[in-house]
Amino acid sequence: MIRLPTRAPAFNLNALLRGEVELLAGWIARWTMGQTARQTFTIVVGAGAFGAAMGSWRAPEQAFCSAVKLPFILLVTAVGNALLNGMLAPLIGVNLRLRESFAAVLTSFTLAAVILGAFSPLMGFLVWNLPRPTPGAAESVAAHSVMVLILVGMIAFAGVTANVRLLQLLRRFGGGMAPAWRLLLAWLTVNLLLGSQLSWIARPFIGRADEPVRFLDPHAMSGNFFEEVLRAGGELWIHFSR
Amino acid sequence: MSQPPVNSTPGLPTVSTITHEPVLGEDAADREMIAGPTGVIEAVLRHPRRLIYQLRHGVPGRLISPLLVIAVLLIAVYGMIVGSFSGGIQWWAAPTKIAAGMFITAAICLPSLYIFACLGGSPAKLHEVAGALGGLLLLMTLLLIGFAPVSWLFSQSTESVAMMGFLHLLFWVVAVRFGVRFLFAAFRHFGLRSEAGLKMWVMIFILVSLQMTTALRPLVGRAAILLPKDKKFFAAYWLDCISAPRVESRR
Repeated sequence: MIRLPTRAPAFNLNALLRGEVELLAGWIARWTMGQTARQTFTIVVGAGAFGAAMGSWRAPEQAFCSAVKLPFILLVTAVGNALLNGMLAPLIGVNLRLRESFAAVLTSFTLAAVILGAFSPLMGFLVWNLPRPTPGAAESVAAHSVMVLILVGMIAFAGVTANVRLLQLLRRFGGGMAPAWRLLLAWLTVNLLLGSQLSWIARPFIGRADEPVRFLDPHAMSGNFFEEVLRAGGELWIHFSR
Repeated sequence: MSQPPVNSTPGLPTVSTITHEPVLGEDAADREMIAGPTGVIEAVLRHPRRLIYQLRHGVPGRLISPLLVIAVLLIAVYGMIVGSFSGGIQWWAAPTKIAAGMFITAAICLPSLYIFACLGGSPAKLHEVAGALGGLLLLMTLLLIGFAPVSWLFSQSTESVAMMGFLHLLFWVVAVRFGVRFLFAAFRHFGLRSEAGLKMWVMIFILVSLQMTTALRPLVGRAAILLPKDKKFFAAYWLDCISAPRVESRR
């Protein structure tokens, strides 16, 4: 059983990244508004920095739009995931209430945002080294595809790492390793489906060279994220096989 | 010095305890003070454990600044050797760009190094991680300075830009190999439990460093312009250099 502190432990980035079970359990069990505000702020800063770095390839206005949209997508995905998994957790065999589920999911998103924030200088460096967006130029299409695939890879890495980091915590919430793995799989699946489609609807994040900078695409509800990733891979393949 | 030996993370096993390395600070030599630039250079070459101990338990700012300043000065000296191949504006452009490139690479990679260290279970603070990265850079640049006479000799006797580029790359690879060894040794004493993330970071650091050489080209050979206008991936640029017709003159 987890020994819970009488007060919520202070927010500690290093301990969060190390996945210290006692501390995380304390956060989740003694969840406070202050803690939620700190985690939300971390998500806004970390994901915002990453969004700004990837949007800066197209234009400074796009950097601003992506810096606003990416944290918003993460927060909405966290709420959706928490609601669904709050109901799933007891059915799977993990003793998490809805409030605790929300705290745990928000913690995993905080961790993902911190990782993304640390990757933002790397994303900025990538942008610096890619050809500038020029309408009609084949290099711009290839650069856009490279950006799509690398950012999907970085976000996937951050998301999976953040969720796996909480595996030990889920195990200690009762039920053993098998239910913890099942809940983790449910988290990852919901994040993949909900997060990817929300980000598709809220596109553009990078912006294409031959399209104007805008906050939202007028055809937001057409197509899906997976088609875009396949298309980006296909474009890159065609570019390099010429 | 009367500071106690350090067991970096009591409880969970660390890479240090798994590999049965002596506890940091157990030996009195680990706890000796590092004084002055020569002390820093001697520590990174001969007594890396002393440097790691001081990063954990000394005043980090007192060590990080000399580590970085000496590394930047030494890489600038090596940059002059690189620039001597072509002369002209490369006498000052090459050292400036190489020193700036190394510093920017370190700044870009520091946040991810801290994240990967924490994900690997290390309780190291940001300034300790910055110190370990400073140690890596200093050891790298010291080794490059060691190779500098060979580089200079070749740069005065060969005309091929590709050949000189390859030689500098070879020396850099050797330097990175030893620098990374220092970094891993430091993190073993910083309570690292898994090296997987650190290995991934080394790949990122190498890729960023190699791309930086292309982003700030030309470093070797004539420079008509200070910085390139077109963007290239480093592998594509190298292939262009190798397949280009033989240069008429390096100057």
